[in-house]
Amino acid sequence: MNQAQVIDRLQKIFDELFLDPVVLTPALTAREVEEWDSLLQISIVVAVEGHFGIRFNMGEVEATQNVGQFADLIVKRIAEKSA
Amino acid sequence: MSTPSYGSIKDLLVSQNADFWPALKAASGRAACFEDVLALATLKKRAISRLGSPPVEVATPLRVAILGGYSLYPLREIFEQFLFGAGYAAELWIGEYDNYVSEILDETSGIYSFQPEVIFVLPAQRRFFYSGAITDQRTVIEEQIKNDCQQLLSLMRRANQKTHADILLCNFILPAGHDLGAYRNKTLASPWNYVAQINIELGLNAPSFVHICDVNFMSARLGLMVARDRRRWFESKQIGSPTLLVAIAEEAARMVVALRRPMKKVLVLDLDNTLWGGVIGDDGLEGIEIGDTSARGEAFKAFQKYVLSLTERGVLLAVCSKNDHSKAIEPFEKHPEMVIKSNHVVCFKANWQPKSENIRAIAEELNLGLDSFVFVDDNPAEIEIVRQFLPQVSTILLTDDPSDYVSQLEDSRYFEPLSITQEDRIRSNQYIQQARYREIESSTTDMDSYLRSLEMVATISGFMREDVPRISQLINKSNQFNLTSKRRSESEVGSLLTSKAHVTCTIRLSDKFGDHGLISVLIGSIEGEVLYIDTWLMSCRVLKRQVEETALNELVRLATRSGYKKIIGRYIPSAKNGMVKSHYQNLGFATVHEADDGGEYVLEAVGYVPRQTHMSIIRRTNESSTSD
Repeated sequence: MNQAQVIDRLQKIFDELFLDPVVLTPALTAREVEEWDSLLQISIVVAVEGHFGIRFNMGEVEATQNVGQFADLIVKRIAEKSA
Repeated sequence: MSTPSYGSIKDLLVSQNADFWPALKAASGRAACFEDVLALATLKKRAISRLGSPPVEVATPLRVAILGGYSLYPLREIFEQFLFGAGYAAELWIGEYDNYVSEILDETSGIYSFQPEVIFVLPAQRRFFYSGAITDQRTVIEEQIKNDCQQLLSLMRRANQKTHADILLCNFILPAGHDLGAYRNKTLASPWNYVAQINIELGLNAPSFVHICDVNFMSARLGLMVARDRRRWFESKQIGSPTLLVAIAEEAARMVVALRRPMKKVLVLDLDNTLWGGVIGDDGLEGIEIGDTSARGEAFKAFQKYVLSLTERGVLLAVCSKNDHSKAIEPFEKHPEMVIKSNHVVCFKANWQPKSENIRAIAEELNLGLDSFVFVDDNPAEIEIVRQFLPQVSTILLTDDPSDYVSQLEDSRYFEPLSITQEDRIRSNQYIQQARYREIESSTTDMDSYLRSLEMVATISGFMREDVPRISQLINKSNQFNLTSKRRSESEVGSLLTSKAHVTCTIRLSDKFGDHGLISVLIGSIEGEVLYIDTWLMSCRVLKRQVEETALNELVRLATRSGYKKIIGRYIPSAKNGMVKSHYQNLGFATVHEADDGGEYVLEAVGYVPRQTHMSIIRRTNESSTSD
């Protein structure tokens, strides 16, 4: 799975969680979306871990700067899982 | 990832539909996993910013303080959501991370100006370990365990003294690391044994206002490896995994509800394929499966044993079966393997009427509300009819495997007591006595000689420390004979013991058939020369026994002794207290005013002539006994 495919899946997760529609792009950051607060962030991480069957290591989600980097991290974890 | 209705609830919010809040409440009560609860919590936050607070009829406001040695976020969100599902709009006071000790000790702390009704405490588990050597003597280690517990509990006492709040105190997860191996069993200093012992000591020594939120049990039930989550501890100071957070929050919310709505009182049982295997009408006494001769018979017997054990905590057993009465009663009287005998059953309905009708009749006979009933049946059609016609009754549909029956009842969580009082243990007998009263009542021609024949004794007393659990139980569950339906927590009742602004009174009743226990509670508040009756309630099983007149005589006696000239009583109507609508008029009070939302009535204490009763009076407080 590549970044674009992951973002595609993420879009569906975000559509469920957010009230106002958010269009995900690799450059999008949480700061740009009013609804995207720390509570929603927890929901996103838990949903993503459940959806892709992966687990992030300590601190690595916080280290990502935008949706693109977050998707890359997911791609990496999926690859490790199937390796 | 979310409940099926999540999308539709979201749509209700987006379209600002009035059904949004009730739908969110229903979904919050059902939510089971972290993702679902959190999604609903997020939705609620958004809704409050768009629509304002939820209406009071959806959620009653409640002030709750949460503090502890962990990050309380997102636990507080989940807890708040479960409370909302149970009908409470929590206003939260959140402690700072790991500041709970100073927050409680500091008199100027924000928690005290907040005046919480409930305090939820999650103490830091990392503080509870043995600091000495692993080879230390057992007594030395036990000493430290005791000290650790006493310190924590005295902190809780301190919090309660200043707030009178009920306290939910979390205990601890057993450390599941393999380290020490089998040697962990050989010393109390091993983390495993140390924490286990702390949990036991905490529970056994907790005062009545401390309710243990049993994290130890919940984590064990989930599996310790599922409950703990080291990454989330280091990352964000969480107590455990998201799954454990949900379990803790749900349990704490359930305890808040249980403090306000006590457990169910009546268990209504089907017979065929519920208490025994087979159909008594077809298979006959020898054909039914009950007892140790077969595996299924043994399972039914185990179920009966469990059901009978519930009577020990005050649950009443009733039977509701589609059968001929003479056939249905036969196993109870003749089958040697039956654990439940006919004298354990307070009400026995075996006929061909709809079960909903029978249950309604049982409720009337026992004088208990339908919302205190649980109905158990193996037949989905019978469960359905009761659900439809008596939605207040809780129902349990048994699976077709009798080996699961006990756990289905155990896990229904309808019969969990916060405390068990002596009164609970004898309650079942009291209801069985009722049947005998009805016999006398019909054989005695006039009421007066009936009452005389009962040889009643009323024991009257002000509130006493040892009665506080029973008094608060009555205050919180009496619905019918309750003039104001004013509820008070156990702590609030306790504070009345020393109040100078209140007059308190309890009445116990016994007669020649036995002891009814503490059955009436009165609280008066004093304003100048007027005694306002704040609370007047009585257990309905002693209706028409002149307890009302006895109580009034006592109230006037207390008032005149202290120089109060007037006694003013109020009636505040509720859904269930219609029976006392004319209570004060019947007792000779004059109406001050009366309206749909209640009335106020006055009695001049001066010149009052005590009502004649057939009651002998014993006073328990520093006064010699007299007899009327």
